[in-house]
Amino acid sequence: MAAFLGPFLLLLAVFQYWPVAQMVRDSLYDFELLNPGLRKFVWLENYLYVFTDPDRQQAFLVTFGFAAGVVATVIPTAFLLAAYLNGRLPARAVVRTIVFLPVVTSAVVIATMWTFLLEPNNGLVNSALSAIGLPRLAFLTSKAQALPSIILMMLWQQTGFATVLFLSGLQSIPAEVEEAASIDGANTAQRLWHVTLPLLARTTVFVVVMMTVFSLQAFAPPLIMTGGGPEGTTNFLAFDIYTLAFNLQQPGLASAVSVVFMLVVLAISLLQMRLLRARWNY
Amino acid sequence: MKPLRIIAGILVLLAICAFFLMPYAWIVASSFKPQLEIFRDVKPLSWRTFITLTPTLENFTQLFRLRGAGGAMVNSAIVSLCQVGFTLAICAPAAYALTRMRFRGANVVFALVLMTFLLPIESLMVPLYMTVAGLGLQDTLVGVFIPWIASPFGLFLLRQAFEELPRELDEAARIDGAGHFRIFWSVVLPNVRTALATLALVIFLFSWNAFLWPLVILSSPRNAVIQIAVAQSVAPGQLPNWGETFAGATLATVPLILLFLFLQRFFVRGIAMSGVKG
Amino acid sequence: MRPLLLALALLAIPAAARADDDVSAPTAACPKGVLTLHLLKPQNNPPFPWQITAFEKDNPCIKMDIAEVPFGQLADKISVLAASGNPPDVVVYDGPNTQTYAASGILLPLDSYLPAGFKDDLVPATLIEHSYEGKLYSPGTQQTTLALFYNADMLEKAGIPTPPRELNKAWTWAQAMDAFKKCQQGEGDNVTVWGLAPSRFGAATPGFVYRDLPFLRTYGDPNAPVESSVYKTYFAVAPDGKTAQGWLNTPEAVEGATFFQGMFNTAKITPKAGIPNAFQDKKACFTLDTSYFIAGLVNNDPGFKWGVTPMPYAKTPIVHTGSITLGVMAKSRHKDEAAKFAVDLSTGKAAEEFARVQRILPVLKSVYPKIPELQQYPLNIFAQQLLQWGHPRPPSAKFAQYDKIVTDALRDIAYGADPKTRLDQAARTLQPILSR
Repeated sequence: MAAFLGPFLLLLAVFQYWPVAQMVRDSLYDFELLNPGLRKFVWLENYLYVFTDPDRQQAFLVTFGFAAGVVATVIPTAFLLAAYLNGRLPARAVVRTIVFLPVVTSAVVIATMWTFLLEPNNGLVNSALSAIGLPRLAFLTSKAQALPSIILMMLWQQTGFATVLFLSGLQSIPAEVEEAASIDGANTAQRLWHVTLPLLARTTVFVVVMMTVFSLQAFAPPLIMTGGGPEGTTNFLAFDIYTLAFNLQQPGLASAVSVVFMLVVLAISLLQMRLLRARWNY
Repeated sequence: MKPLRIIAGILVLLAICAFFLMPYAWIVASSFKPQLEIFRDVKPLSWRTFITLTPTLENFTQLFRLRGAGGAMVNSAIVSLCQVGFTLAICAPAAYALTRMRFRGANVVFALVLMTFLLPIESLMVPLYMTVAGLGLQDTLVGVFIPWIASPFGLFLLRQAFEELPRELDEAARIDGAGHFRIFWSVVLPNVRTALATLALVIFLFSWNAFLWPLVILSSPRNAVIQIAVAQSVAPGQLPNWGETFAGATLATVPLILLFLFLQRFFVRGIAMSGVKG
Repeated sequence: MRPLLLALALLAIPAAARADDDVSAPTAACPKGVLTLHLLKPQNNPPFPWQITAFEKDNPCIKMDIAEVPFGQLADKISVLAASGNPPDVVVYDGPNTQTYAASGILLPLDSYLPAGFKDDLVPATLIEHSYEGKLYSPGTQQTTLALFYNADMLEKAGIPTPPRELNKAWTWAQAMDAFKKCQQGEGDNVTVWGLAPSRFGAATPGFVYRDLPFLRTYGDPNAPVESSVYKTYFAVAPDGKTAQGWLNTPEAVEGATFFQGMFNTAKITPKAGIPNAFQDKKACFTLDTSYFIAGLVNNDPGFKWGVTPMPYAKTPIVHTGSITLGVMAKSRHKDEAAKFAVDLSTGKAAEEFARVQRILPVLKSVYPKIPELQQYPLNIFAQQLLQWGHPRPPSAKFAQYDKIVTDALRDIAYGADPKTRLDQAARTLQPILSR
């Protein structure tokens, strides 16, 4: 038994539990990565800083704002797309493949790609806007547009994933249910709203939580596209933690942010499991 | 009425495809153009933006000659294949133990594993870095994949597959006098090939696309993996060369897209199951 | 499972095996054995192979083992190795980080290894840059400053008189701005030639301290009373490097930041996003660049006539100094030999030879008269700027953090953030870090 389970548990202990324990310990100290031996125990000072420093508050705010924005755009788009693809369409498999491509493309490549798509002078998007007579936009260099631009990118990246999940949900709905609804005289929109949507509640919860977690983990966009700016409007937590620890040499503070962040994500994930365990009757 | 609807349907379909494909088309076409041509062709928008009649391999040769893209691809392949191999080798026996061996605390073990499933790895970078560096593995390819081979996701997925396998099979083998190793190796494993393939593909995908951790743990250029090479395809003190950056993005993406096109169903299933993290 | 663990262990060996002995068995020529010194340096930067070969020839019992990293990762790599048990002996690092490394005990002070009178011969900016609490931590290898390059053909076409070559006739920023505006072609979304090229430094966004903080500092005055904000503006950080509040965000600095912001937002003579090779590709009339840029223009003829004019100023001329440099790790097990390497490369004939071959600005004043190019246009502009206007980037034991936070602030200001609010915020964010 030990031979079967031992290596797994050993590695898990070394690379997951031990770092978590270290992180909790580090969050109570003030030190620099340059000289980790020289550390000062500061009680909960780092946590106090996390909760009072305006920069950290902004990081929490934009991260959750970003997640909310992604969920609010991806879910309806993906749902409609899935409903559309679920109809009798020519080349459905091809469309599904195309929509899914961004899911297998790395976050780095996507962030790099979109940096250039959204480039103000020579970017493709501005060029397309000009072509149809619309004004060019500043995108990532504008305080107001940077976050929405990254949400748009996430919409492009994640819609395929959500669509595939919705699609498999839709395909598990018995055809008789839909037919019964159309016999009752419901039109397409009514049918989607009153029949299909409630039946997909479980899938929807799953997709919502998934999108939330993906968004909360976003790191490549600030690193590659914005450096967390302008004015901290895209300073997502994963990036903030990285900057605090490695650029600003405050790993203690970074650990405190990490602990708070970890607890929040853990809470969301547990909520997910609770919701998923609940039964919806088909 | 009918033909109109069909035409409208086709238009919507084309619009959707264009929305998702155009960025790729632009990147790939531009990776075969010199920088000035990229700028010239994007303003105003025309078919030239997405196609080039005089393709050049200049960007790619630059990447291979000066930026070590070849080495980075090889490193990525080594890391990804090792991660796949070791993940299977570590997770499959563990899944076997959890489903085929009765022992006290099996549920506790599984719950402990599930907990780590939910940890955001982004928040663990600093202490994980210290741990791996403490083992002397910083700036090595081993250090890139070793923290992830005990994959809770892998265990989760394989446990599911092992559960679904009828127990009569191993009962029969046991009566023939087979021990756990024999049953695991010649009865269970051959029957869960689909699950193993799914896991292998998803791990490959995560490993190939991983960025934050390699960025933290690797530093010398000869150890760079392809994602880092793409993110840093910039000579010191220079602005990114568009053509070279696009060529790098193309290189980093093509292997996965090919893999995906051929093995689509495994991917979709595996990613759907992957849930929280990789 | 045992074979598996064995395989893992085998994979791990190359990583652990570097703890091997650095001294070989004694030979006839080297009775103490051949010593291997480990050197960490950024790619495409000195010391170059010919310098290493020369050193090894003079010191046959020392061999250099060289590891290279991209410049952008150098600082991270050094902090990692410093904390590890097996650091390199010699590091090549970015000069402004000297105080950071000295304060955390990573670097070895080199005073006792340097020849007599060495400190007096050092260019003042280098001496400040590489000193911490009275001790010198690096002899320095090279210096450079920024100046304004221009496309002479475009200037002629726009009817702009040839810019000055003498420091005492240098343009003010107002004069430079007029030239940028006159030379720019196209408007709004259709600019074909920008007045001033975007920054190629740092993360390819505006704001990099090295290039852009002088836009603020030039509004200060070192001859004003020490307590005045004009004085503080010129230095941008308190002398002990522990206070930015009241130094970085003075009314004069805000004035400078407002001018800087204007270039992007009201005058619109420079773009917010980077354009690679804008100057060489004739997409900009002017560009701010270092003396190294000359070699690029000489070796790859851009197809137009070009020239160099001193850095423009507002109230007091100023250029930032500093370049990569050599240091010895405090944890090195072969301190004397490592220090010998650092000192040998930076003094005497070797220093002279280096300046001659690479056409760089030397850090020793005594070398300047020996290199004729340094007296001639265009290199003389950079050399004179260094000696007359040169100041280190704000020296502080927390320079890396200062650099990051101020760069972000200047970038945001270029993008349109309110200069005063944003500088105040940067000073506030910096305070707890600097004062630790």
